[in-house]
Amino acid sequence: MFCFCLVAVSCIISKAQAQAVTVQGKITDSDGKPVYGVTVAEVDEDGRTIKADRTDVDGNFSLKIINKKHKLSISHISFKTVELSIGDKTVFNQTLQSSSKDIGEVVVISSRKADNGMVPIAEKNLTTSQTHINAKDLEEMQAASIDQALQGRLPGVDITAASGDPGAGMQIRIRGTSSINGATNPLIVVDGLPYETSIPSDFNFGTSDEVGYAQLLNIAPSDIRDISILKDAAATAVWGSRAANGVVVINTKRGGVSRPVLTYTFKGSVTKQPEALPMLNGDQYSTLIPEEYMNPTGTALPQTIKEFQYDPNDPYWYHNYSNNTNWIDAITRLGFIQDHNISMTGGGEKARYFASLGYFNQKGTTIGTNLDRINTRINLDYIVSEKIKFRSDFSYSYTNNDRNFGINLRDIAYRKMPNMSIYEFDEFGNNSGNYFSPFSNIQGSYLGLDAKGNVLGTVNPVAMANEATNNFISQRVTPHFKLDYAIRKNILQASFDVQFDINNTKNKSFLPQTATGRLSTEPAVNRAYDGDIDVFNVTTKTNLVYTPQFKNEKHNLVSYISLNTYDNKSTSHEVLTSNTASSILQDPSSPSRTQNSDSKLQAKQYETRSMGLLLTAQYSYLDKYILNAGLRGDGNSRFGPDHRYGLFPSVSSRWRISGEKFMKKIKSIDDLSLRLSYGQSGNDPVRDYAYFSIYNALITAGPTASIGTPFSYLGQGGIYPSNPELKDLRWETIIGENLGVDLTMFSRRITFTLDFYKNRTKDLFYPGLQISSFTGFNNIDLNVGTLDNQGFELGLNTTPYRSKTWQVDLNFNISSNENIIREISPLYPSSKGDVTTNGQYATFLKINNPFGSFYGYKFLGVYKDLASTIAIDEKGQPIIGPNGQIIYMKFNYPSIGYTFQPGDAMYEDINHDGNINYQDVVYLGNSNPKYTGGFGASVSYKGQWKLTAFFNYRFKYDVINGTKMNTTNMYGFDNQSTAVLRRWRKEGDVTDIPRALYRSGYNFLGSDRYVEDASFLRFRTITLRYTASKKLTDKLKLKNLSGYITVENIYTWTNYTGQDPEVSLRGSDPFRVAFDQSFTPPARTFTIGLTGSF
Amino acid sequence: MFKSTTIKIAFAILLVSGVSCKKWLDRKPHDGITGAAYWQTKEQVQAAVTGCYASLLGSPNGSRSLAELLFLWGELRADMLAATTFTANEELDIMNVNILPTNSITNWRSVYQTINYCNTVIDFAPQVIGKDQTFTQEALNKSIAEVKALRALMYFYLVRSFGDVPLKIKSTSSDKDIEQIPKASMDSVLTQILQDLNDAEPYAVSTYGDRASDKGRITKYTINAIQADVYLWMENYAGCITACNKIINSSQFGLIDGTVANTWFNTLYVNGNSNESIFEFQFDNQRQNTFYPLLGISSRHLIANPTVLTDIFSVDFVNPLNVDIRGDGASARSTDNMIWKYSGLSNDNRTQRASTQYSAHWFVYRYADILLMKAEATNQLGNGQEALDLITAIRNRATALAITNTNPSPTDKDGVADFILAERAREFAFEGKRWYDLLRNAKRNNYQRLNILLQMVANTVPPDRQQSAIAKYMDKNSHYFPIYYYELQTDNQLVQNPFYR
Repeated sequence: MFCFCLVAVSCIISKAQAQAVTVQGKITDSDGKPVYGVTVAEVDEDGRTIKADRTDVDGNFSLKIINKKHKLSISHISFKTVELSIGDKTVFNQTLQSSSKDIGEVVVISSRKADNGMVPIAEKNLTTSQTHINAKDLEEMQAASIDQALQGRLPGVDITAASGDPGAGMQIRIRGTSSINGATNPLIVVDGLPYETSIPSDFNFGTSDEVGYAQLLNIAPSDIRDISILKDAAATAVWGSRAANGVVVINTKRGGVSRPVLTYTFKGSVTKQPEALPMLNGDQYSTLIPEEYMNPTGTALPQTIKEFQYDPNDPYWYHNYSNNTNWIDAITRLGFIQDHNISMTGGGEKARYFASLGYFNQKGTTIGTNLDRINTRINLDYIVSEKIKFRSDFSYSYTNNDRNFGINLRDIAYRKMPNMSIYEFDEFGNNSGNYFSPFSNIQGSYLGLDAKGNVLGTVNPVAMANEATNNFISQRVTPHFKLDYAIRKNILQASFDVQFDINNTKNKSFLPQTATGRLSTEPAVNRAYDGDIDVFNVTTKTNLVYTPQFKNEKHNLVSYISLNTYDNKSTSHEVLTSNTASSILQDPSSPSRTQNSDSKLQAKQYETRSMGLLLTAQYSYLDKYILNAGLRGDGNSRFGPDHRYGLFPSVSSRWRISGEKFMKKIKSIDDLSLRLSYGQSGNDPVRDYAYFSIYNALITAGPTASIGTPFSYLGQGGIYPSNPELKDLRWETIIGENLGVDLTMFSRRITFTLDFYKNRTKDLFYPGLQISSFTGFNNIDLNVGTLDNQGFELGLNTTPYRSKTWQVDLNFNISSNENIIREISPLYPSSKGDVTTNGQYATFLKINNPFGSFYGYKFLGVYKDLASTIAIDEKGQPIIGPNGQIIYMKFNYPSIGYTFQPGDAMYEDINHDGNINYQDVVYLGNSNPKYTGGFGASVSYKGQWKLTAFFNYRFKYDVINGTKMNTTNMYGFDNQSTAVLRRWRKEGDVTDIPRALYRSGYNFLGSDRYVEDASFLRFRTITLRYTASKKLTDKLKLKNLSGYITVENIYTWTNYTGQDPEVSLRGSDPFRVAFDQSFTPPARTFTIGLTGSF
Repeated sequence: MFKSTTIKIAFAILLVSGVSCKKWLDRKPHDGITGAAYWQTKEQVQAAVTGCYASLLGSPNGSRSLAELLFLWGELRADMLAATTFTANEELDIMNVNILPTNSITNWRSVYQTINYCNTVIDFAPQVIGKDQTFTQEALNKSIAEVKALRALMYFYLVRSFGDVPLKIKSTSSDKDIEQIPKASMDSVLTQILQDLNDAEPYAVSTYGDRASDKGRITKYTINAIQADVYLWMENYAGCITACNKIINSSQFGLIDGTVANTWFNTLYVNGNSNESIFEFQFDNQRQNTFYPLLGISSRHLIANPTVLTDIFSVDFVNPLNVDIRGDGASARSTDNMIWKYSGLSNDNRTQRASTQYSAHWFVYRYADILLMKAEATNQLGNGQEALDLITAIRNRATALAITNTNPSPTDKDGVADFILAERAREFAFEGKRWYDLLRNAKRNNYQRLNILLQMVANTVPPDRQQSAIAKYMDKNSHYFPIYYYELQTDNQLVQNPFYR
């Protein structure tokens, strides 16, 4: 297609014939003064410049004309452009009219175009469900990435933060999770081409999808012009296989015709960790532990355990274990953010530009977390002629992100024993200045990392935060070229896009001995890691848009063919060694041990390719009846040859009721429309080459699946089949149906959108479904069933009051989504959770029932004395054994048969058999919010002062307060919350906290004790903005100037007793329930911003 | 309207790109051999057979290592281990006869993994005939004999631990092979085991030409040893004696001399692959066993029950030099009851292996086992004297203390059987055999000697759980593990073992 365009261009050029004539003249302004620097150009019939000259200081020009049939175009930035036919005339003296009106912000009144990234269609003619947000609405928020700022703003779009640390990404879910474990992130389309946000899953940090999403960071929020979200399947169908989870279309700013405008924006913030959960201090903790140890067995803590002895005669232990350390305070600091952005935009008739340079710096609230980012972007448009136009965009970003070595460092700090010292004391009570990181103590030791990067066991959090490093440096260059060619002006338009995306990330981490205290021979000590991943991505899009002009204006047709290709190559190298000679030698290239279970030397290459061909047509009759039909064929290299291609149709329509005669009378209605759509799109698996059966050398599995060393048997290498071939792996197809109503009233003062939808996912893809082990394999990727997401979304924007001085805007959105399994493979387990184990809730997969329900016991309090543990039958009478003996309450008799003791947690014996077991498990709640959404208001005064407030909420959902469970279970040596101070201690105590039992008992079984309604309303942000008046800016010689103050996370109204009611359902496992593990509410941020342009 | 040629060109371009996309989308992994490309040469067959063996050393996907699993299965339920403060709850539950289907030690995954590798070789290796001209039928038979014997050994462990188990003798090579199958009865599994062994025996080699391979891979004698064990379990004593005799009469094996205890310990256990050995899992420094965290580290999970040294091996208080060489410094270290077979580097100065030296082999069959199996079989057939002679040979080599000689009358069948059982405890302490020995003796003649288990459990389980443990062991179904809960969830044809329903 590209070649084709080139050929066409050269044809046009060759048509030009030489007919040299010199024309000259003088250009003056309306006052008769000569104008310097006016472009005088010979242009052909397509508006293409053939030759040009500029006027001198006297306003004179002279130009050799090639063809007299061409026109002379006289243009200057400050004047209206004039076009004159040349003919036989050779002298052109022209007076130009000032075009001052064109300069500045002239709002072009036209219907707003909605962009699906392919072909813009007037929003009022949309047949599909899309929402749109102008980045201007979000610019006050102190967000490193635009996705953070979108939280709660759009109906049906659920965005949750992975954590508050710098560089942590977001999880975006559009209309729920349509896949139970496939790719669930939406496709991001930037300036018309997909933008890669994932990292191959077996790379070191690739497993956490949150991190992959942080890549979105690389587009500076201030560069974004607008964002559209495509929600229904008919809308996403145009993007094919990768769009099944919705599409986020982002357009960056571009230059317009204007003199250069330089804009500087500044945002500065202070972030503070809010008051955390109160934990026991060292003295309280040291009282609890010996009691906890003694309770189950009756034996005192052995003398060998010196951590709780407080024996001054044993000075080393005494000094190091008699403290009141607040570990959380020790790793917390005030966070600062600064964001500078400078941009220049402008352009003339032919060329327009937008260039920006930004610097973002964030110092996280946890020691050891930082983010630095530099990004630049240049967007150029050049209009060669009326037929040919090209765009060249270039963006570069550099991100340097420091993270904590273990992502759960704050959790570790909460649990860390508080009587321990941060720094080691010697026998004389002198602080040695070294971190106190004992090899191991009663609480345990460092046990390695899990697959997600959580530290297992315990460490000195301060040492870990300060000494261990985990650094990510990523650089991304994205050149994007686009050529537009009008084959027939306004009728047949061709365009060709190509984008190269070079995305390189380097991750280096080092775990010094002081952070863990382990023996110098262990692989955890001086563990150096260095990993590189280079992704090269080529995306192309070739569009042919056909818009015939019908004589009868009742008909209107837009149709196009689009061919998309996508090629993603990634190579990664990883090295992990241990035991470098010193903590200063932090690179794996320094002499170190390479042969151990932890170490790794790995290089991998992946490639994914996909292509899609799309045919779409939108036809409208009388602007009232609009029908859109599309067909997309997709091919993807991740499927085996049998199922490689998929065909996905879509149909959508709009009926503008307000266009009908009977509605014309109602003047107040601008637009009332009904939309109906149906569409299919396919989702491909997440892993490359997954369908192949691979024969591998045997390796020793390390702590994470990807780490391992190969081994041999008797000196010979062994090969084994590592996975079965997937002959039957098919496209996961999402079939979406949508019914929507759009209403605009009172000259757009009220806009209202309501959508009902049902997205059915067929051939639900499930990677890693665990299968019966007699097959010889652990798991397999399989299409397992059918899943529905259904619900509604409502959005309302109003301007209830508008006058010359005051304007009040209100907006509101609400949405509801339900996840239901309709069909599931018999291989898929139907339940999860063992109710006989502490801390576990039961969840069941029930066909035709929504997800997220969980089951457990009813908690009744604490057995206050022995008498209360007597088993009672239905009639309230004690149960008597066959020999007349008293029967005490038992747990899970006979297989466990534990007899409840005074001080134990009391659970309701639903069936009154004196035995607490699975028969006493009842429904406790559902963790899918019934409604989510947000609302906001803004008041502006004279266009200068503007106060904006935004709230978001979730309504009716139950959360398991995991923090409460972990901080009141008194089961191990972890520190507990101050709630345990009211624990049961002696016969007769009436309390709600059971006795402390070291590693025994059943005091924290999954029960309603930890289940809470987490409905909340959060005062998310408030902003006060001042925009300087024209008078003031003129005085300062500025184009405009504004400043604002924003406060985020001001207050949360909730009955939830945990730290943060906004608990996301992590992952996409159908058994997932909202399990709150957070110890701190979201950080409060104060931001000051300043924007000035001149 | 407009030039139709333009449209034609456009469509032609689209068409061409459409045709070429078939090839364009064909991407192959850069590393790893794909299944379709495998099974072309004899070297690949050899590598796949080696893969079956290598899977004995460690699972490629993180499941519990096979040797560790076999150790836990064979020892946890018996009477020779004691818990420490670091014992995992799951281990403790099994020791205390509190076994739930959620206990991951009952997960048989690693065993079936090896079985599937064997099945894959059996299914696909014959394809190589014809593709590789140098691959002969004889070589194929030899390879198949190895993996069939290995598969039989794996099923034998399963059947002794779980009773009825799913019998899968076809490989899983694609998602279309995934099926849900019910359990096969213990008898039919044992029949399959014997059939595999009998198929393999004629083709298996007597020697590979080097000592390590002869001990680390399946030979004819390994097959005979498994046969003997299976026949003994099935109470086919004549069959057991025949199989034992094949090994004894081959004169390829003998007992390692025990006069110098340290040399004996070094030869047999530290170095491995001794003349006494028949089949050992060949751990080495590169691929170590997992006994360091389990038995060796200071936070070790399991230690020897103190009664092992004091009662089972016994102590001569009069003459401290008079020791059973298999006791202190061989089976366990008296100072801390550390299990020494896998941790010890020497018998005389009790040096422990460093964490990087845990390469002790896992001993599947030794010549001593053959002798004692034969003794057990001959005793059951009424030839008590021959049995006692065989025991004496074992005892003399180990300088067993006289106090442990129960001196049963040759005609006292139960007395001799008990003596053999006790001798096996001494000879194969911590070699993963004890529980199977106890169960085999208890279940003989339709659980005639059930009290062997009841007595054992009364000695090992803590007093508060004794009654319930004894009550459980009265039910013979409780002698087998439950099926791990996940297996039931993923295969609705599987039925939980009767005791755990």
